[in-house]
Amino acid sequence: MEKPKVLTHKEFSSVRYFLQWEWILLIIFILVNIMNASFSDNYLKFDGLMRASMIFLDKGFIVFPMALVIIMGDIDISVSSTVALSSVVMATVYNAGVPMGLAILICLGVGALCGLINGILVVKFKELAAVIITLSTMTLYRGIAYIILKNQSAGGFPKWFSELSWGFAWKIPYILIVFVFFAAIFTLVLHKTNFGRYVFAIGNNDIATRFSGINVDHIKIIVFTLVGVMASICAIFLSAKMMSTRPNVASGYELDVIAMVVLGGISTAGGKGKMIGVITAVFLLGFLQYGLGLINVQSQIIIIITGLLLILAVAIPNIQEMIKNFNKKREVNL
Amino acid sequence: MSEYILELKGITKIFPGVKALDKVHFQLKKGEVHALMGENGAGKSTFIKIITGVHQAEEGEMFFNGEKTHFKTPRDARKMGIAAIYQHVTCYPDLTVTENIFLGHEEVSPKIKRILWKKMHKKAGTLLKEIGADFTEKTLMGSLSVAQQQIVEIAKALSMDAKLIIMDEPTAALTKRECEELYNIIDDLKEKDVSIIFISHKFEDMYRVASRVTVFRDSQYIGNWNVDEISSDDLIVSMVGRQIDQYFPKKKSKIGEEVLSVKGLSKTGLFKDVSFNLKRGEIIGITGLVGAGRTEVCQTLFGIMKKDEGTVSIDGKEVRIRCPKDSMNQGIGYLPEDRQKEGLVMEWDIGRNITLSNMDTYSTNGWINESVERSISGEFSNKVHIKAQTIYDLVSSLSGGNQQKVIVAKLLALNPNIIIMDEPTKGVDVGAKSAIYQIMEELVEKGCSIIMISSEMLEVLGMSDRIYVMRDGRISGMLNRNEATQENILELAMLNKSADVQEL
Amino acid sequence: MDKVKEKVSISEMFSKFRELGMVLFIIALIIFIQFRNSNFLTLENIDDLITNAAILSILAIGMMMVIITRGIDLSIGATLALSGMSTALMVSANQNMHPVLALLMGTVVGMIAGGIIGLLIAKLNILPIIATLGMMNVYRGFTFIIGDGGWVSAYQMPDSFVGIATSSFLKVNTLVWIAIILYIIAYYFLNHTRLGRQVYAVGSNPGSARISGVNNDFIIFMVYSIMGALAGLCGVLWVSKFASAQGDTATGYELSVIAACVLGGVSMAGGVGKVSGIIIGVLLLGILQNALPLINVSVFWQLAIQGAIILFAVLSNVLIKRNSDKKNLARRVL
Repeated sequence: MEKPKVLTHKEFSSVRYFLQWEWILLIIFILVNIMNASFSDNYLKFDGLMRASMIFLDKGFIVFPMALVIIMGDIDISVSSTVALSSVVMATVYNAGVPMGLAILICLGVGALCGLINGILVVKFKELAAVIITLSTMTLYRGIAYIILKNQSAGGFPKWFSELSWGFAWKIPYILIVFVFFAAIFTLVLHKTNFGRYVFAIGNNDIATRFSGINVDHIKIIVFTLVGVMASICAIFLSAKMMSTRPNVASGYELDVIAMVVLGGISTAGGKGKMIGVITAVFLLGFLQYGLGLINVQSQIIIIITGLLLILAVAIPNIQEMIKNFNKKREVNL
Repeated sequence: MSEYILELKGITKIFPGVKALDKVHFQLKKGEVHALMGENGAGKSTFIKIITGVHQAEEGEMFFNGEKTHFKTPRDARKMGIAAIYQHVTCYPDLTVTENIFLGHEEVSPKIKRILWKKMHKKAGTLLKEIGADFTEKTLMGSLSVAQQQIVEIAKALSMDAKLIIMDEPTAALTKRECEELYNIIDDLKEKDVSIIFISHKFEDMYRVASRVTVFRDSQYIGNWNVDEISSDDLIVSMVGRQIDQYFPKKKSKIGEEVLSVKGLSKTGLFKDVSFNLKRGEIIGITGLVGAGRTEVCQTLFGIMKKDEGTVSIDGKEVRIRCPKDSMNQGIGYLPEDRQKEGLVMEWDIGRNITLSNMDTYSTNGWINESVERSISGEFSNKVHIKAQTIYDLVSSLSGGNQQKVIVAKLLALNPNIIIMDEPTKGVDVGAKSAIYQIMEELVEKGCSIIMISSEMLEVLGMSDRIYVMRDGRISGMLNRNEATQENILELAMLNKSADVQEL
Repeated sequence: MDKVKEKVSISEMFSKFRELGMVLFIIALIIFIQFRNSNFLTLENIDDLITNAAILSILAIGMMMVIITRGIDLSIGATLALSGMSTALMVSANQNMHPVLALLMGTVVGMIAGGIIGLLIAKLNILPIIATLGMMNVYRGFTFIIGDGGWVSAYQMPDSFVGIATSSFLKVNTLVWIAIILYIIAYYFLNHTRLGRQVYAVGSNPGSARISGVNNDFIIFMVYSIMGALAGLCGVLWVSKFASAQGDTATGYELSVIAACVLGGVSMAGGVGKVSGIIIGVLLLGILQNALPLINVSVFWQLAIQGAIILFAVLSNVLIKRNSDKKNLARRVL
């Protein structure tokens, strides 16, 4: 008996292709920009756009590894504290006479250590959800920042340091260049390497991934450490932007970061999503907040909108699923 | 009134893509213990769920006490006095036995609806004593053994004045002595005019407690007999549908030198002093009751769990296995028991599932080479004859048998020498089953060796060159193909002679 | 039969032993602090300690119920602030408003806030962490908006209102009485009513709860509503006690509440938690917060100490559980 063969190519469906969440995001993104342009004549000029991106991109760095964490089905809410702690340590060692370059390296090291601790705890204490572990380390890291600096600010960084956040190379801000660099790396790693494939596999079914001979624990630790490292990069740009830091810096960043990731189409149930969507969401949310600021909307309302967006982004796929299930049920009953 | 407490006629149930039940019948008299038998995947569990209102049938009628009924929810069924004890006990591990018994129908004071703990504890205590439980009503459910939890479930059914109790493989995880206790409880229930539907794979269960037996096969009703009218051989034929020898492709294969030797493998509380060996071109069966430690031994061999003691040698050299990657590097492949949980990424397509455990081969320096990946996964899906359109079909859309074939393809892609298969045909339809046996046969012909864990007696007898039987974490005996029979395997798997002495 | 009895006692010993251990630890802590500063065990200080712990203890009741159902609520600090601010505005506008009415109003505000979260979690299947993180920001934003960025201070509030938290009955502060009454109600509700037991059932095994006819969605909705109501009540008490309502009232307070629950033996995995346990947890946190300044520990250390304690408590819970599971396994005769 000749059995039918399994084919190795599939037909391209343009409907399915354009129904992807990323296209919807792109449309919303364009709408936001049209809205902003109507608020301010200068907005759509090249310089204006560049300047706008400088305001919010520091958070954007954390978004990449956070996307990996959420794809794996975990979450890390300690990021804002990691930003605070690593920036506070950087400022303190600099003021104690360490050269700025070394201080930056120390900052990265502190971030990596914070992430590593989260990763090891998550892996070694599987009984506990990552929420509760990062919730405790969030308190702990922020607390250490307070011990180091009390309630004061520290700064006095060298002048060149502020160039990181405010400087341009051929009219393009340094921070944007660095952001694009990391965006490219993380996109390639997630979608084109074994490592990325494993991250998706873990998010869908970590047990089966382990049974497939993949060291799930190592991958989780690496990803959590990446969160720490990227949080310290955020800390560097944030400190450069303000030229000082305080223990209470960056509070509430976890909301913005998680909102960007979820808005970018990463499923909170794990295992699904695209980096391009997340990158779009960074600019979407950033420009939205910037635009609302342009017309003097209170920052509190911007927070409300961010919170609602987060919930909407999670609720919409769930509602779609419910409608699908409901229709299925009706078909069966008919 | 009808002489039957429960009667089902022409029940059909369709799940997406599968006909789980096809016009089946069933009749149960008052106070009767009725065995329901059939292979895994014959539709028994679905049938039970229709009686208890978890699923709704597409076609057919159900009569309870002679009246036509239709249960929309489990609650409806419970109100009528139907209780079910499922294969996997569903309980609240953090609550006490009393609460597990009474949750959903607590005793409350008439006016302010206060829970009457004293009354409930007392009632629970009496129930437990009646059925001879050896623990108290205030014990935490989570600290009980599976057998004890099952007794709680029976007490729960009794507390609701159940007229009909359905037991889905209650003896699967019990020791011989615990089984004996359960039989006594069932005898008592019979005297109280409770009717029982008893699902089991064990013939001795059926002969010991049931008076009638109904057989399902491949979602269809085959027949029903008085237990004393039918021999176990006839029953087997009716369950399997053909003679055993025709079903298995086993040929006389060439058996070579020893490739794997396990000595004194132990893990606290799970298994102890397990030794066996495996030769080239050989299939060994490891069987025993659920909970005897078979899966644990093999998972330790594969590196999922860490051993406490013992040695593993491959080709005469001792090897250290700390994680699955280590054993895969030694040429060991593992086909897990629970394919949805341990074997597959259900939301992925076929192709990605096949390549997952072997990504390094299809990539250069960590970068995925998609065209190589695609052609390899295509090749292997065709090798095992997966029924699907393209390799981009989601695994979750496939039938159980085809899902199993995907895992087999994933295993073959690793090109292992030693293959561990944990219940390779569990929940798989007949066609896929014989396809998997065929593949196993081809593998040993090529010089692979297979360790097959199985609870299906016929499969073990039909496929293995040698059979190791496990009981309570130890290997209780080894049988060669020509000396193995159902009876002596069961004897090794269940008789508790030595354990009775040990417990003191 | 003896063997069976032993089995029972060991598993039950574990929970009793834990509470006993905590009590002993608290006693040791008290003795230590008393030696360092003899002002600790004065009637005045004890009264102060208990009064300060009252609000925390009330919130812990709600949080325990949420955690028992396998959830978490990060929004309570914001809910508390929202209810506090709206009540403060109300009483400052209507000076003769009866204090009981004010309490009632705050509770209702909180209950609505909590109910919305409950609906999001139960009906739209949003993860508790995401839903409460999002709504936390929404409620915090609303608080700032209705307060117009400012604060309501003592002189704007009528004496009767401030009196809620300063009055006492039988020399014990009203706040403490309210807490005691709520604890009695909670004890009765959780242990002696069907609905209360269903909370445990849903947390212990949601699947079987549904089969036993429990309305899981309603239970989830209920616990978040109760949590919200208690947070609302505490909002009024907080404003009355500190005689001021601000936009950033009780920021981060949810962490203390979660800490109290975890210290009190409430399991993050759901299904486990006792009223007597959280009393111990609240007491321990209350003593620490009260005593650290007394023994000259800087306020800046408090956050880190709190984080370390939460981390220690969750991790040691897991280790103890693992140990007892291992012992159970080892008892199996092979």
